[in-house]
Amino acid sequence: MPERSTSSVSAETPSAPPTGSLRPLSVHLLGPVDPLVAARAVAAREAAQKIPRVLADLAASRSVGRSLRLTDHDVRTALSSSAGRSPSTPFAWSARTARRGLGLAAVRSLVAGEARTPTEGARQAITGAIRSVREGSRASSAMDRWLAGLPGPGLAVVQAEAVTWATRLWSALDWSAFGPAPVIGRDRWWNSPHSSLLAVRSRAEVRSVVVDRDENPFSVHLVVLGGSRRPSVRAELSVVAMVEAVQAPRSLPPGRIVGWWPDSGHTVTVEVDRAALDVGVEAVAHTLASAEADPVVSEGVARAAA
Amino acid sequence: MVLVTPHAPAPDEVLALLRMGSDRRPRFDPELAGGLRAWLEDGAAELVAARGEDAPPLHLGPRLLWRDQDVAADAPPGDRREGPAASPYPIELVESCLVRALFRQLVTCGRIGDPLADALDALRVEPGRGAMVRHVGEMPGEAKAALSASLSSHVAQLVNLTPRFAAGWLPRTNDRVAIPLAGGRVVLCGTFDLLVGAPVPGTATLCALGVATGGRWAPARAALHYLALLEMVRSGVPPFRVALIHTAAGRYGVEDVLEEHLRAVVSHIVGRLALLARTSA
Repeated sequence: MPERSTSSVSAETPSAPPTGSLRPLSVHLLGPVDPLVAARAVAAREAAQKIPRVLADLAASRSVGRSLRLTDHDVRTALSSSAGRSPSTPFAWSARTARRGLGLAAVRSLVAGEARTPTEGARQAITGAIRSVREGSRASSAMDRWLAGLPGPGLAVVQAEAVTWATRLWSALDWSAFGPAPVIGRDRWWNSPHSSLLAVRSRAEVRSVVVDRDENPFSVHLVVLGGSRRPSVRAELSVVAMVEAVQAPRSLPPGRIVGWWPDSGHTVTVEVDRAALDVGVEAVAHTLASAEADPVVSEGVARAAA
Repeated sequence: MVLVTPHAPAPDEVLALLRMGSDRRPRFDPELAGGLRAWLEDGAAELVAARGEDAPPLHLGPRLLWRDQDVAADAPPGDRREGPAASPYPIELVESCLVRALFRQLVTCGRIGDPLADALDALRVEPGRGAMVRHVGEMPGEAKAALSASLSSHVAQLVNLTPRFAAGWLPRTNDRVAIPLAGGRVVLCGTFDLLVGAPVPGTATLCALGVATGGRWAPARAALHYLALLEMVRSGVPPFRVALIHTAAGRYGVEDVLEEHLRAVVSHIVGRLALLARTSA
C-alpha cells in the first residue's frame, strides 16, 4: 500500500519569529531548532529510511493476519500497561470525546478569520455537522450523526466543552507568530509500504515550520495531552516524530514535538534525532506486542482523542 | 469581598462588580508563583515520604482539603473528584451536578427550559453520569417533584445572578486545573465553574465565577481562593477577581484576589498535607 498522508506541512520557509514577548508555549513550539538536532539531521534521515522495513517485519510477526491500525490511544494504553493497565472501556461519543474535533474546528475557523470567538467557532462547527446530516451529505461522520440526535441541552454541554477546549488552545499560542499558516488538527496516517496490515497515526493539534541556523526547514508539532503526567509521554511523542520522519521527503523532516498539558501548563519537548526515532520504534513494537496479547487494541477503531 | 443578599437584584449587578475598576489590575510579584509552588512542594515531599515513593498518586481537591470545615453538605466550586462515602447519590450531590449542568447551559445558550429535563439531558452526554441519570429517573414521584421544585428555585437564582458574558469575554465553563507536585505523586486539582478573560502572560486578566448550591459560604469562598492559587501556579498569575454565587441562599460576592489570599490557601494546604502525612505514617 503506498504512503498516504491526509495533509502535509507546507515546505515554505518562514522567518524566525521573535521570541522575546511570546507566550511560553509559542516559545517552546516555534523557537529555533536545537543545533544538535540540526547537526544530526542526516543521521536521523538515514535511520528513518530503515524504519518502514523494521516495522513491517514487526507487524508480520505480530498481526496473525489482522489489520493493525495503531492510534495514539493504543500506544498510550500499551505503554501504560507496564505500570498497571486499566481495562479499556468501549468508545462512546460524549461531550468529552467530541470536544477535540469540535474544538479544533473552532480554532481553525478562528485562525482563518471565519469566526471571531471560540464560542462562534464551536457553534459553527456544531451547526455544520448537524446540517450535513440533515441534508444527507455523504461526508457526515459518526460524530455528526450523534450530534444530530441530541436534544438542545445536550448540545449545549457539547458546545460548552468544545468552547473550553478551543479557548485553552487559542489562548495559549501567539497565532501571529506563525510564519506560514499552521496546520490545525489534521491527523496523519502512515500506511506501511511493505505491509498492508500496518498503519500508525500521528496525532498533533498544531503543526508548523521552523528553521535552523542555516535556514533549513523542519516541521514542529504541538500535541495536546490529557491525563496525568506519565513517564511514557516521551515515548508517545516519539511515535509522532517517527511517523513524521518516515513520511519525509514528501513532508518536512520533524524537528520537534511539544506535548502540552492544558490542565497544568506543563510542557515536554522531544527534539527529534535518531535516538528519539529509536524510542518511537520501540514504542510501536511494544504496542504491537500488546495488540497480540489483547486483540481489542488492534480492532482498527480510530478513537477520538479526548 | 463585597457580599450582597439582594431581595430583587439589579440586572447585571454581578457583571458591574466584576468590571468595576478592572483597568486597575492588582500587581503580583513575578516570583510569587515559584515561591508558592516551592512551599507546596515542601509539603508534598513530607507527605510522599510518609506514604512511600511507590504509593499511587493522591488527587486532592477542595472537598478533601477543607473537610474539617463542614463542607460535606456541599460540593464547593472546583471540586469534582471526591464524592461522599455514605451514599453514591445523596440529594446534595445530585442537586449540585444538576445545577452546574444548568449553569453551563445558561452561560452557553442564555436560557433554560424545564430545569430537571434539561439538566438530565445535559448529564446524559457527560461521561460517567449515566448512573446518576438513572438514579434520578428511578426516584419516587414525590422525591422527583421535590427535586424539580428545588432545581427551579436554584435556577431562578442562577438566572437572576449569572452575568451574560459576551463571547468576546471568552467565557469557558468547567476549566480543569491539575497541579502535580512531588513528580506527580500528589496532584492538587479543581475545576473553575466559569472563567472569563483572555490570558496575557504576566498580567492578571481573568475573572473566575464559582457556583455553590448549598453549605456554608466560607468554605465555598476558600475553594475559589484555592482555584485562584492553582491558576497562579499554572500560568504565573491568578484571576484578578472572583465572584461566588450561592444559589441556595440567593447571595453573591465579588472580590479582588490578593496575595494574602493565596498565601493563606498555601498555608492551609501545607497544614493539610502535614496532617495527611501524620495519618499516613
